[in-house]
Amino acid sequence: MRQSVAIADSGFSRFNSLMFRVESTARSKSDLSGPKRACLLLASFLFALIGCDARIEQFEPNRVFTLALAKSRSIPTEPASEDVSQSLEVLFGTPNEPQWPEQLLAEEGTEDLVDVERLRRAAGPVSSGKDGTHRGLFREHCVVCHALEGSGAGPASQFQDPYPRDFRHGVFKWKRTVRGAKPTKQDLRDLLTRGVPGTGMPSFALLSPDDLDALVDYVIYLSVRGETERRLLVGAVDELDYGDTVPEDDFRIRYPADSEGAGLIEDTVVRVAGQWDAAESRLVEVPEPPDLDAEEMAASIERGKKFFHGQIANCVGCHGASGNGAVVILDYDDWTKDYTTRLGLTPSDREAMQPFRDVGALRPRPIKPRNLQKGVFRGGGGGPDLYCRITQGIAGTPMPAVSVVDQANGKGLTAAQIWDLVHYVQSLGRE
Amino acid sequence: MTGQQSTETAASPPARGLHRLVVLALCLVWPLIWVGGLVTTYDAGMAVPDWPGTYGYNLFLYPYKTWLLGPFDLFIEHGHRLLGAVVGIVAIAIVVVAYLRDPRRWVFFLSLGLLAAVIFQGCLGGMRVVLGDRTLAMVHGCVGPAFFALCAVTAVVTSRMWWREPSEEDAKARPIGYPLVGLIASLLAISYVQLVLGAQIRHVQPTTPPSQFTMTVAQHVMTALLLWVLSLLASWRLWRCGDLTLSRPGLVLVGLVTLQTVLGVATWVVNYGWPGFVGQVPSSSGYLIQAKGFVDSIIVTAHVAVGSLILAVSTMLVARILRVRGRRRQAQGVHDDVLATSNESLSPSAALSH
Ligand code: HEC
Ligand code: HEC
Repeated sequence: MRQSVAIADSGFSRFNSLMFRVESTARSKSDLSGPKRACLLLASFLFALIGCDARIEQFEPNRVFTLALAKSRSIPTEPASEDVSQSLEVLFGTPNEPQWPEQLLAEEGTEDLVDVERLRRAAGPVSSGKDGTHRGLFREHCVVCHALEGSGAGPASQFQDPYPRDFRHGVFKWKRTVRGAKPTKQDLRDLLTRGVPGTGMPSFALLSPDDLDALVDYVIYLSVRGETERRLLVGAVDELDYGDTVPEDDFRIRYPADSEGAGLIEDTVVRVAGQWDAAESRLVEVPEPPDLDAEEMAASIERGKKFFHGQIANCVGCHGASGNGAVVILDYDDWTKDYTTRLGLTPSDREAMQPFRDVGALRPRPIKPRNLQKGVFRGGGGGPDLYCRITQGIAGTPMPAVSVVDQANGKGLTAAQIWDLVHYVQSLGRE
Repeated sequence: MTGQQSTETAASPPARGLHRLVVLALCLVWPLIWVGGLVTTYDAGMAVPDWPGTYGYNLFLYPYKTWLLGPFDLFIEHGHRLLGAVVGIVAIAIVVVAYLRDPRRWVFFLSLGLLAAVIFQGCLGGMRVVLGDRTLAMVHGCVGPAFFALCAVTAVVTSRMWWREPSEEDAKARPIGYPLVGLIASLLAISYVQLVLGAQIRHVQPTTPPSQFTMTVAQHVMTALLLWVLSLLASWRLWRCGDLTLSRPGLVLVGLVTLQTVLGVATWVVNYGWPGFVGQVPSSSGYLIQAKGFVDSIIVTAHVAVGSLILAVSTMLVARILRVRGRRRQAQGVHDDVLATSNESLSPSAALSH
């Protein structure tokens, strides 16, 4: 009974807000003539009968991580989550009205990391202007997979393998920076243009350069916001005594305020944004590829083959003989490990996973080492790309880095030897 | 009218012009659905933020150069509106001609219904724009094909086929039973359900939970298989009816559903890539989705347009089979059930006699 009242009530308020919207649109176009107004009114009644869009007013809190944290610390994390969400909204705004904590970042000079105008263009509902520019780009192009928060659990995510990226970890695979660093803006631009073949991630090469810039900024925005959320949750529980209850005022996560809590917020935002800002300076140094004629190339490939199957690089352990991908490693990527193995849970244990699934986690799927004989490279198949892949590994995945050494020893490979490996890997796809 | 003696010759319908107008409407509505589909595919629905005008201009007075030479979004959105308005005008003409020429009152009411549907659909489109609402866009996308189907019904009842008198052949022909009528009617119902499911996938909300989306997709796929089996069955049964006005559309339907299945798979792939479980398809492991690719957009939009064509053909079949059934029963002197009597009262000689 109570439920039905509630439903009727929400229906009524929806209708009211609708009529308000209709009226205000009508008012804003002052020259509405009688018939037009009648049309609008008629249509609005129809509209009230049919229903309308789910309203999007806030970012969802990161429930999966809130739960994972609760399990790992054996402590309730809901109070922390609530406070963190509120502060995030003050700092970063909402899906319709994004904000960027410029003032806060100005102290470190990282406020220009993203452009607020671009964020506004990428956020909000889809529309387009008289000159053909689109707004609401993220919802037009990305949200079905990556979801509003960038959690990677969008409506179509269950069909993807690998799952769409969860931006909130701040970890990205396909980039030219060192493993632990953020990608550069250029990396993200290249990624959007190139797409990720063999996965659901499309190429957006046909979008205008302005659109791409706006999307890149928006990805960074979502990532900074999401990583700040994660770090603040950890900070709240580990440093500020959040638990069953909230701590005293000075330690509460509140912004703006002159307190320990606010200090933690500032430090966290500055730190995360700083890492993005520093990406340019953390590019992998890729030495000039050796200039080889056909014969030398064949020899290089032959040497590469030895390293591939050898002790130091041991690529064969995961990628199989000649990279045929026939090895089963039963491992998971870091985004999945975050709520499974790191908590001591078995990803294939349905019962253990259920609480996480209930708050929106996707069903864990093992990561598969690539069958290199197909010649498909998700992060680009060029020499420098593969040089980065091999010397850094792939961030967020089990694929390890091979260390680069000056003198050949038993622990790593020299730059020239890495190039041999690159040539061998490239040759596999051509066969 | 002395149709009774000349059972062989087809009586000519009293309003040929009306039928031609309805066919004209059909020929306009299908492209209209195409353009409407393109508007959604290109997310151009909000390219013209006001309504019923276009950037303050009256719909028909919007400078055609700005329209034709402007951005693609504006081109298709304004074009969609113009074409819609033309269909509206044709609908008005249909009402007028039906009133003046067609002796059947219910045909006049049907034509009024047609006009009401266009206006409703136009308002829905307008509200979708004024309120920038995706759910409304979805409803607008579902009403369009329904209107198309209504046009198909009107076309059948104004066609020559409808006016043909019962003949010797009808007297000898195999009677059409409820099961077959039911089969065709379920085909109609299911193809509409399928269309609505498709619209839900296409107009997915940003906040739809993945499990719900997956469920909708699964239903859409299963319904597709069901439709395919049903259409094969229907086509086989219709073939045995020995009436070209039924067997031909039956075959067309099978062809369309098959085409639609292929288009559906293609639509999925160009939007979401090959699903994991078809890893064996050659080159699927390197497949790269191209967002907003031209060919891709055409495939997706074709899937939408063929869906409404299937709906229209099955609607046409329902109307025709009821008619043929009634005629055969009449010729065979069976009057005992509701369908036959209702068909009786629709019969041209009955209509013309008052
Ligand atoms: C059809 C689903 C789909 C759509 C639409 C989509 N993505 Fe992705 N995206 C993916 C998948 C799947 C991955 C994971 C690829 C991988 O792990 O190799 C991904 C990965 C990414 C990554 C991380 C790449 C890395 O280096 O780790 C970024 C950034 C990204 N997408 C941005 C976007 C943006 C921006 C849009 C919209 C313009 C978008 N995506 C649209 C499916 C999608
Ligand atoms: C611990 C297991 C493991 C080892 C050892 C390993 N890889 Fe990988 N590799 C992976 C996994 C897993 C992936 C898939 C990553 C992804 O797409 O998310 C991968 C992907 C790749 C790719 C594809 C990159 C792209 O752009 O698509 C290349 C190339 C590659 N590995 C080369 C190597 C080479 C060369 C070695 C030896 C130096 C090596 N791997 C060692 C697990 C491994």
